[in-house]
Amino acid sequence: MAKRILITDDALFMRVTLKNILTQNGFEVCGEAQNGAEAVKLYQELKPDLVTMDITMPEMDGIQALKEIRKSDPNANVVMCTAMGQKNMVVEAIQSGAKDFIVKPFQPERVVDALTKLLAA
Amino acid sequence: MKVEYVMPFVQASMNVMGQVLRQVPERGQLSARPQVFTSQQLSIVCGIVGDVQGQVIFGMSLASADKVASTMLGQTIVSFDQLAASAIAELGNMISGNAMTLLSQQGFKCDITPPTIIKGTNVKLSTHDIPALVIPMTSPDIGVLEITVSLKESRKAAA
Repeated sequence: MAKRILITDDALFMRVTLKNILTQNGFEVCGEAQNGAEAVKLYQELKPDLVTMDITMPEMDGIQALKEIRKSDPNANVVMCTAMGQKNMVVEAIQSGAKDFIVKPFQPERVVDALTKLLAA
Repeated sequence: MKVEYVMPFVQASMNVMGQVLRQVPERGQLSARPQVFTSQQLSIVCGIVGDVQGQVIFGMSLASADKVASTMLGQTIVSFDQLAASAIAELGNMISGNAMTLLSQQGFKCDITPPTIIKGTNVKLSTHDIPALVIPMTSPDIGVLEITVSLKESRKAAA
């Protein structure tokens, strides 16, 4: 069965791009969240296999949402997918339980490889 | 307003546009903005908070915006819709994010706010009390992307 992914990004363009990449590579996009608060809510409802998480978003940012999701499910697979690549941000995300950190702009293969590897484990 | 704050945006625009639009732009002449200036046909505004704070504004013509959105979406834009606007905003977000990584390597830790798009002719912009510098980045197919940087060191970092 296809692995179910929840996409989180405030930019419509990014959600469409990610959805295209993922569906073309055999994943199922089960939901799309436009900010961190929506991602936390949709995570409970949809119980996806993995979440892609932007950081710079209105309402609740991606780091906060990552923490909330990991609090409710310590095994949650969250992969950060953001334009913010500075060291302190990467360190905070990984320490908060993110499984990978993808910096935009990215190549489609980078995303597919990361998700495939994580979900095969 | 220090020139060292502008260089990360120049470098970042080369990195990001090279990868996303497959065109590395050439930098033009750096100059100071008057206190009030007229915007380009389309502007992307990103707020910056942290050790340095202020705004960065990416300006371009509607023709350039169409070309950027078409390249990013992999299809020609028929009408400049929400998806096209989102692609343009994401370009600003990616350049700003990349610049934040470069600024952090200079010791300034900052964060960006989600981008805002302003579309329209003859819009007067002012960066208020922070003087702004502008640098045009030109690529043959896309045209000119004007980067206006208006940043100051926040009191905490200066102390």
